[in-house]
Amino acid sequence: MLERSKLTFKMSQEKTILIFTLLGVIILAFIVIPIVNMIATQVILDVDALIKTAKDLSVLKSIWLSIYAAFLATLIALIFGVPLAYVLARRDFWGKESIESIIDVPIVIPHTVAGIALLTVFGSHGLIGYPLSNYIGFVDALPGIVVAMLFVSVPFLINSAREGFESVDPRLENVARSLGASRWKAVCEITIPLASRHILVGAIMSWARAISEFGAVVIIAYYPMIASTLIYERFLSEGLSASRPVAVLLMIVCLLVFILLRAISARWKRYDRD
Amino acid sequence: MKKLVAVFVVILLSCAAPGCITSEKVTLKVLHAGSLSAPFEEMERLFEERFPDVDVQREAAGSTKTIRKVTELNKTGDVVASADYSLIAPMMYPEYADWYILFAKNSIVIAYTNDSRYADEINQDNWYEILGRLDVKFGFSNPNDDPCGYRSQMAIQLAELYYNDGNIYDDLVEKNTNLRMTFEDGTYILRAPNSEEINPSDKIMVRSMEMELIHGLDAHEIDYYFIYRSVAEQHNERFLELPPQIDLSSADYADTYKKVQVVQSSGNIVTGKPIVYGITVPKNAEHYELGLEFVKLVLSDEGQKILDEMGQPPIVPAVGSGNVPQELMMLVYQG
Repeated sequence: MLERSKLTFKMSQEKTILIFTLLGVIILAFIVIPIVNMIATQVILDVDALIKTAKDLSVLKSIWLSIYAAFLATLIALIFGVPLAYVLARRDFWGKESIESIIDVPIVIPHTVAGIALLTVFGSHGLIGYPLSNYIGFVDALPGIVVAMLFVSVPFLINSAREGFESVDPRLENVARSLGASRWKAVCEITIPLASRHILVGAIMSWARAISEFGAVVIIAYYPMIASTLIYERFLSEGLSASRPVAVLLMIVCLLVFILLRAISARWKRYDRD
Repeated sequence: MKKLVAVFVVILLSCAAPGCITSEKVTLKVLHAGSLSAPFEEMERLFEERFPDVDVQREAAGSTKTIRKVTELNKTGDVVASADYSLIAPMMYPEYADWYILFAKNSIVIAYTNDSRYADEINQDNWYEILGRLDVKFGFSNPNDDPCGYRSQMAIQLAELYYNDGNIYDDLVEKNTNLRMTFEDGTYILRAPNSEEINPSDKIMVRSMEMELIHGLDAHEIDYYFIYRSVAEQHNERFLELPPQIDLSSADYADTYKKVQVVQSSGNIVTGKPIVYGITVPKNAEHYELGLEFVKLVLSDEGQKILDEMGQPPIVPAVGSGNVPQELMMLVYQG
């Protein structure tokens, strides 16, 4: 009798996994089919255009610019976002919820609106752009691209890092401090290393989000052209057949970087468990 | 609870079926150019007031596409209005139409705000000198992407002819971008490079579409930009009108406009011509008579007033071409 109920329990559990897997496969297909279809169409129907695009200097320049500007944005997000994430994870204070909501706002607002807001503030007559106008120009320049990318991508880093810090038991820090370490040292040597996988995942997400940005960037900096602007441009002026190879190339490059970074973060995970 | 949901679903589904929503109204399909959206929205309201049992459905698209809907996509339209009158005859004659009426025009203007540098100085005689000043920034849309973009280039080149000053295009455009105008066999030709190679300097803001430049003006990033008169009017911007010899507004100067061509990076060649709107009722319209009624409204005093307010000045009297139907004859001058 006991055996039997165990068996039904096991079977019903198998059934659950089976249903979940089935549903999961559908959503996976939803993601994979358009991507594979696009790459396959390009490779099968017009591989020559893809090769030509891979040799096109202005395409390579735009892809590099995307990667580089997104990297700068992620770096700035790390420097300013991680400390904020730590404070949010460790301290309760009045207005904390509103701050957490504000951090999510860039995810919600339409990108064009974000771009207009940034242009108004960072333009050469803007609140921030004007006092800086003798030193740094944002409109149609690299700093403008970085600012737009930072704005839309920083929430991913802050949220992920905060979760990381929350998962580290504060008592570990306290132990270190009771043994004579300063708070600074305890955070740097205990908490941050333990939360590092969350921070890394947040940085990857933030970098990826930055690369994909188009709507906000194109308002503040149409030039120099990042890859997403170039793809849009080629689509408008010459149609899908001209824009698709660029898109496929960008996808392949990003996929490679992604796989590499995920592999690194997976090794980190093992280190976590040890 | 389950029952309630079921009842709700049944009600929803039955509403989706015809009969619940649609009444016995006649549907009048008006296919028109995108830039006519604002005035035609008003026309629709007026028309439905006058004919309460007609439902006007408007479809806005690029002018070429608007006509192709009728000639190639087997869509029936009761009215076709194009931002380029000269497309109607070659694309629709004789099978789909045998007349059209020129009813409104648009033009390239220079829009600005009160805060633009030298806003109180600029006029028809000095605008190119002001735009060329070191501390002035201006914008235009990308000639590869946007008709307003290549028309702006045409206007600047036509200014050289009108003001008899061969340096205008060089000073304003060539010095600050990689756009180059050449003179070949009596025609001025701009061969636009790929968009990423236009490479404007700090002085010039280029954006893909003319609408995106509005933000540049609002943020005081630029002082002036080239734009359709209708857009400037609809956004309540100040604007400078240019002489008809260069602003592409008048059929009288069609021969002058023809002297300028733009070859887009895709290889597509566009030749300068007046921005004049044309309207017709296709032969295969489902409601031909009602279609004519709509055209009458557009040509009426009220219709003209709407067009004027939206910055697309009506042509008065409207000019007809081909076998204009008898009942419209009163409203047009047969050209």
